[in-house]
Amino acid sequence: MQYGMIIDLERCVGCHACTIACKAEWEVPVANGRNWVNRLGPTMTPEGLASTYYPGLCNHCDAPLCVEACPADQVEMTFTDAKSGKTKTLTVAATWKDPFDGTVQIDKERCLGCGACADACPYGARYVNPDLADDNSMGKADKCTYCKPRVEAGLDPACVQTCIAGARIFGDLDDPNSAVSKYVKKGARGIEPHGGHLGPNSRYYGNKRDISLLFSTSTPELADLGMTRRRAMLATLVKPSINKARDIGLLGLAGAMLVKKMSEEK
Amino acid sequence: MAFNLTRRKFLQTASLAAAAVPLSKVVSADTGVTKAPLDAKGTFGDQTVVGGICEMCFWRCQLVGKVRDGRLMKLEGNPKSIDNGTAICARGNAGVKLLYDPDRLKYPLKNVGKRGAPKWKRVTWQEALDECGNGLNQVTKKYGAKGIAVFPHGASAKYPMHYFERTVGTHNVSEASFFQCRGIRDTAYVATIGKAPGEKVDMANTKVLFFLGTHIGENIHVSHVKQYVQGLQNGAKLVVADPRFSASAAKADIWVQIKPGTDTAYVLAIMNYLVQNNKYDADFVEDHTAGFDEFSEAIKEWTLEKAAATCEIPAAQIKEVAELLAANAPNVAIHPGRHVSWYGNDFQRERALGCLTALLGAFYVKGGWVPPKGPKVSGISWKKHDHGNEHNLNYNHEEDEKRYPFNPPGTPTELIRDCAISGKPYPIKGCVVWGQNPMQTIPGQEKMKKVFQQMDFVMCVDVMPTDVTLWADILLPEASYLERYDYIKTGTQWNLADEHQQFIAPRMPLVAPMFERKDQVYITNELAKRMGHAAEIPVGSLEEMTEKSLASVDLSIAKIKAEDGIHIQPGKDPYGLPEDFEVQLYNEDLADAGFPGAPTYIPVPEVPKGYARLLYGRAPVHTFNRSQNNVWLHNAMPINPIWINDHAAAKMGLMDGDTVSVVNSEGIASGTTTTVKVTPGIRKDCVYMYHGYGSASPFMTVGKNAGVDDQKLISILAIDPETGCSGMRNNFVKLVKNGKVLDIPA
Repeated sequence: MQYGMIIDLERCVGCHACTIACKAEWEVPVANGRNWVNRLGPTMTPEGLASTYYPGLCNHCDAPLCVEACPADQVEMTFTDAKSGKTKTLTVAATWKDPFDGTVQIDKERCLGCGACADACPYGARYVNPDLADDNSMGKADKCTYCKPRVEAGLDPACVQTCIAGARIFGDLDDPNSAVSKYVKKGARGIEPHGGHLGPNSRYYGNKRDISLLFSTSTPELADLGMTRRRAMLATLVKPSINKARDIGLLGLAGAMLVKKMSEEK
Repeated sequence: MAFNLTRRKFLQTASLAAAAVPLSKVVSADTGVTKAPLDAKGTFGDQTVVGGICEMCFWRCQLVGKVRDGRLMKLEGNPKSIDNGTAICARGNAGVKLLYDPDRLKYPLKNVGKRGAPKWKRVTWQEALDECGNGLNQVTKKYGAKGIAVFPHGASAKYPMHYFERTVGTHNVSEASFFQCRGIRDTAYVATIGKAPGEKVDMANTKVLFFLGTHIGENIHVSHVKQYVQGLQNGAKLVVADPRFSASAAKADIWVQIKPGTDTAYVLAIMNYLVQNNKYDADFVEDHTAGFDEFSEAIKEWTLEKAAATCEIPAAQIKEVAELLAANAPNVAIHPGRHVSWYGNDFQRERALGCLTALLGAFYVKGGWVPPKGPKVSGISWKKHDHGNEHNLNYNHEEDEKRYPFNPPGTPTELIRDCAISGKPYPIKGCVVWGQNPMQTIPGQEKMKKVFQQMDFVMCVDVMPTDVTLWADILLPEASYLERYDYIKTGTQWNLADEHQQFIAPRMPLVAPMFERKDQVYITNELAKRMGHAAEIPVGSLEEMTEKSLASVDLSIAKIKAEDGIHIQPGKDPYGLPEDFEVQLYNEDLADAGFPGAPTYIPVPEVPKGYARLLYGRAPVHTFNRSQNNVWLHNAMPINPIWINDHAAAKMGLMDGDTVSVVNSEGIASGTTTTVKVTPGIRKDCVYMYHGYGSASPFMTVGKNAGVDDQKLISILAIDPETGCSGMRNNFVKLVKNGKVLDIPA
């Protein structure tokens, strides 16, 4: 099973309801978002003048870079399939891809709050939640869970439930008869970063000009994973004073960006 | 800002009652410190409270509240709703942040500073109400009831408005929803089809959607959007006439990039084409219209070529749209619009839309204009009294006729403001502002300030410290739509083609009011007691009012609660033309009053050299200026970038994202800044921004100075001659970058 979400841009009117419902459901801090709506255009595309939206959220990727980036100690974790009751034990850090429903989740108890996963995500789908700061961290990594607790209770994700245009469709991409699979057959596709092969499971459907505008404006670059790993490594080395580690990491990041910028300018 | 409290800081300041801090992170009563769960538990397990009726806008979706430990965590569409269903928009979802906005008014306040620059002193309700009673009594004693002007808006303002209009007896009431918004549409259609049209177009089942300026997607009303999306999914063609590539234009099959102000000419040309080519519904015209001959004679000058030149669009495209409409008639949805107070020539445009619908036979048919048949529930309010026309500013006593004969209910705003400022024909010295923010709803801010400055007494009732509240002597905190009984929403299933059903859903409180907030019935009744009208008080509380209203349809609050907040009953087929339905293509009453009897295009002032016409519209996350302090909505779209044509911007040296301020042709500066949005999606002769930004109230800590207030720049007043309503799009602006005023190239 692989949960996925379709955003139908033919239906979407760009009302932002999805983002606000999510904030309320999961007490997301004002300045952060588990999902977002970027307003695109009007811009001339090869298909004509276009204006559409990028309603983004975690892609619960097939090969999530954020999971790889997590520096927390690995532990054994047993997963249970909600349907069959089958179990599977994996060795995971503080974030993982669920072997049964394909969602990417976080254990905030073990999260170091270093932000390495957020840096690794090319979509900007993760944030460090400052409301969850404690003595050892500035917060905990947070993101869209595809509303796993709601879905397990038999409900739609909050963004799907509130969508006024019926533009958000949630379901199992592995089930060929699901509504989401039908959209994939019609051409819905995920936004793959330049040069990436992540297998995003939030996918977009729309007319040619809107899709052209979406992909030309919203295809991200892969993060500089070297930097992310450096910060993650620092975080594991200096766990008790994680805040300092974060600062050092940020300093390093800033330095690296400066060097990069200078070399680009040359 | 209180919103950025970290969890640790929250634990330290847990007693801060007003802060919008999630309660999942509860502090132990014993120790004061408890490790909060790191994962928000989600609101789906919280208690569900039924009975919410949204009023983040005025479409009034049906809600449920998710309540945890007495605190409203989330709002959702009521699953029982046959209107919005479980869906609510961004604003509806953000109602929680209005409810718990730390800037919300909490206590009655007395201004011990100056009007416009208040110093607030907290007073008791007793003192505040005594001051209001005294202030208003002084005015009525000296100047009579006519000395009071009322600026109401919203469900809570209806009861006090009726009190002042009917019981106290002033004509001087100006509702923004009429005089600055949709009043023109309603009276123009009354003069055409005998009734107000609402937005009752059967979009879900139509073959063609025809919008003039209507920008659904940026203008959001949930069930309306559902109909629109359904129509498009069914393959309906969408025609959007708009100078800007709006959210609707982006979904359109045909975008008509029309010159601002010329819409009526466009519609006249379409109609003339239909008439000249015998492509109109001759049977409908024969059976259900009056004045076809005069009408067709009056519009015959509007050839495709003439309209093409006037509207600056291709003649072939006008013909294409006319053909499209004719080919799909009568199943075409000619949208009447909503906010139509545009140019001061708007009554004629709205008449034209009604007449176009008639030529296409598109009344009461599938996909046309179809009023749903909803249930009727009686309201309870103050008894009506006839106060005559002696002090009616809209009455010309010498001519024994109305100045603006097709005015919507109330008195045209400018008549009230001019009278107040000049003192002629009588002084207006008392002012009651209830839920309206005339500083940002009515054009001409400086004029509005003069009106307030000359008052003897000003009282405001609101939930938020909006711009107008700065001008109050007494400011009263009102219970919000989530904390009171009130408005009874009625309607039908959203898709007229579905099983016919009706619903009745009274507003019921989801949580109790905090601090000292009171509702409109309490406040109005207390004023009435102090003004000598105790005997006329129609009802003691909002709950009683709701109970009595529901009794008129054999329902009760208890029954509604048992039915999960919404009563649903079998409905009626809305399709089918009533036999006596008649459209006045040529209206003789209009002609008798000295106006054009057939829809007529009246040109608007041209854009002066170096300027662009200022256009404005709605942001999907805001309702008028009411939601600008809502921290979730603000965060979604913090400012209102000004759209400018890419070629014009290039000549001006402007880049997308540059920071600018705005100055109008009368030298009025925006004061605040915004960014420019450089796009091919707007004509060169206009710029565009979202309305509802740039509050000047220092007490609105989120919305203050965020973006530019378009209303501040609308200082040239156009008055629609038939209705007396405001036209707001005849203002011209330049952009200012780094202190340099930039000409906008033609």
